[in-house]
Amino acid sequence: MLKKTTIDKLPDLAAHLMEQGTLLAPVQEAAGFNFQVIADAKQVDLNFHNTVLSPKAAFFPQMEDFVRYQTGKSILEAVPVELNLKPTFLFGVRPCDVKSFTIMDIHFSGTGLVDPYWQKRRQAATIFGYAFDLDQPAQAEEFYKTLGIGAADPDGSDVFMIRKGGDLLLKGVTLKGEKLLTQLSLLTAASADEEKYFEDYIIRGRDFKTRFTFLADKNIAKKLEDIFHDSDFWMKVSGACLSCGVCTFVCPNCYCFDICDETLFSQGIRRRVWDACMFTDFTLEASGHNPRTQVFQKLRQKIKHKYSYHVRKYGVISCVGCGRCTKHCPVNIDIFSIVEEAMKA
Amino acid sequence: MASSFKQIEDKLKTEAKKLLKTGQVSVVLAYGKGYDDNHPMPYIAKLPSDADNIVFNEYCTHNLARYLVRYPKGTKIAVAVKAADSRAVIQLIQEEKVKREDLILLGLPAYGMKNSKTGEIIDSQTTCGLYNPVLYDTLLGEEVHGQPVVSPYDVLAQYEAMDKDARFEFWKKEFDKCIRCYACRKACPMCYCDPCFIDQNNPRWGEKSPQSHGNLMYHLTRFHHLAGRCIDCGECSRACPVDIPLYLFHKKVAKECEEMFGQASGMRIDDKPVLVNFRVDDSDKILE
Repeated sequence: MLKKTTIDKLPDLAAHLMEQGTLLAPVQEAAGFNFQVIADAKQVDLNFHNTVLSPKAAFFPQMEDFVRYQTGKSILEAVPVELNLKPTFLFGVRPCDVKSFTIMDIHFSGTGLVDPYWQKRRQAATIFGYAFDLDQPAQAEEFYKTLGIGAADPDGSDVFMIRKGGDLLLKGVTLKGEKLLTQLSLLTAASADEEKYFEDYIIRGRDFKTRFTFLADKNIAKKLEDIFHDSDFWMKVSGACLSCGVCTFVCPNCYCFDICDETLFSQGIRRRVWDACMFTDFTLEASGHNPRTQVFQKLRQKIKHKYSYHVRKYGVISCVGCGRCTKHCPVNIDIFSIVEEAMKA
Repeated sequence: MASSFKQIEDKLKTEAKKLLKTGQVSVVLAYGKGYDDNHPMPYIAKLPSDADNIVFNEYCTHNLARYLVRYPKGTKIAVAVKAADSRAVIQLIQEEKVKREDLILLGLPAYGMKNSKTGEIIDSQTTCGLYNPVLYDTLLGEEVHGQPVVSPYDVLAQYEAMDKDARFEFWKKEFDKCIRCYACRKACPMCYCDPCFIDQNNPRWGEKSPQSHGNLMYHLTRFHHLAGRCIDCGECSRACPVDIPLYLFHKKVAKECEEMFGQASGMRIDDKPVLVNFRVDDSDKILE
């Protein structure tokens, strides 16, 4: 059943959720909005387009401690770090980012090998998806329509939210979401008109215009395979690339990590940190050999991983068209344009 | 009257085409079209026909000197330089990373450059604020007369008003935002170390995880490696996805260096980098 509340009452809703667990929601920071653990219910602000960093850190934090140990002591004395998770509410996630979670599930739990950290965090979380504002044009960098994602797709969310003027309409998508909504007493029932508005909005979202190019998964995968050795093409599209890690760190679908031992005096921690295929030491082998030293090789790997290898292996493109990589690239490299050119090459 | 961006762009196209056609250079580093007009990209022209793709507008802030060290020594390169970019080239020549005779500098006399993320004018704010390139072979437009009315160090006023502890708190807070994407060092024309100290495994100088102490180690070391070398183009700050105002520290150190040694970085080919050079009359202020 569709529920509603007003935007003015958002702090009350936030406070209710905070009573039940940890609330993660967009908060205005210096460089833009980002998901933060909410300490003060008034911080929650839905007047954002999308966050600078993707919400992947909610399930795949940039730094995850695995084991604590003391140098010089037996390995038997090492202590695994336990995850003590409270129920988590991830509030205000845009449809394309929600989609990214389902793609990331493949790597962290879908292939038979389960990453317990990812899985536990996923299970503890209730996702509140939040439709884009269809009355505002999409940003120049976004292209989720190309990848078949609507601006108001509720798939993957537990609760889906659509804003209607000063009201916020909420609908339970999964059982977990529905159950939660019935518990939130400050929500009122929505009218039949609002019910219709909600359903229409989802359909309207599918036709919402972002940059678009026709991409059949198999075609692009094959095409990129065919031009693997076309170094001229890759050098041309990567000419400006600085090989920094911005694109991968802001990406909701990049999941490469490094496991390292970090010690301070005798205290050691084995932890996982984000890594990026754009970094020099990413492919550095113990022998000293590095199979990918040139910038064009690194950018080719990034594009091909998302649009070719991933499709071949898992049948889905590992990109949701959120446009963050393009928006934050220091030299304005645009992944959409590269894919478009690759199709023409 | 200064030349318009369009006039400079046309001259840049013509000059690039000529240089590539006559074979004087094999590469022209300039700007090309990005995904929209407000987001141009560094562009590498190799064929005379590539020159038609060159653009120049107020959003062409990138420092193309960044790409010079990528080419094997002896490659003949023409590079389009704005004021700060030309200083970077001079600094690279001083540090013997590139040779003057391998380069043709296409000077771009431009002001009113804008940050493509925010649309704000960056002259003298995050940059050195000079109008004309310090060194060039061809100036593609009319020289801009007069001096900038604002000193590049004026933006430091608020920072300098803070005491030592407040400054430390300020940087600690800023560095806590850092996600260690290393865009700052990759955008920096003076950051050419291979490998960078922070990438070294043995010995390891700083942690990989984005925590306060590791972030501090990375940024403070980078700041000090750039002392007397930073040419104040502001690319590090524009590259940062979380808006850490790195330019403040670089400007502060540049100002101190200038006051102490009477020399700004990247202004004359014959200069030696201040911290490499020893003169008997050097300031002892640092020891006091």
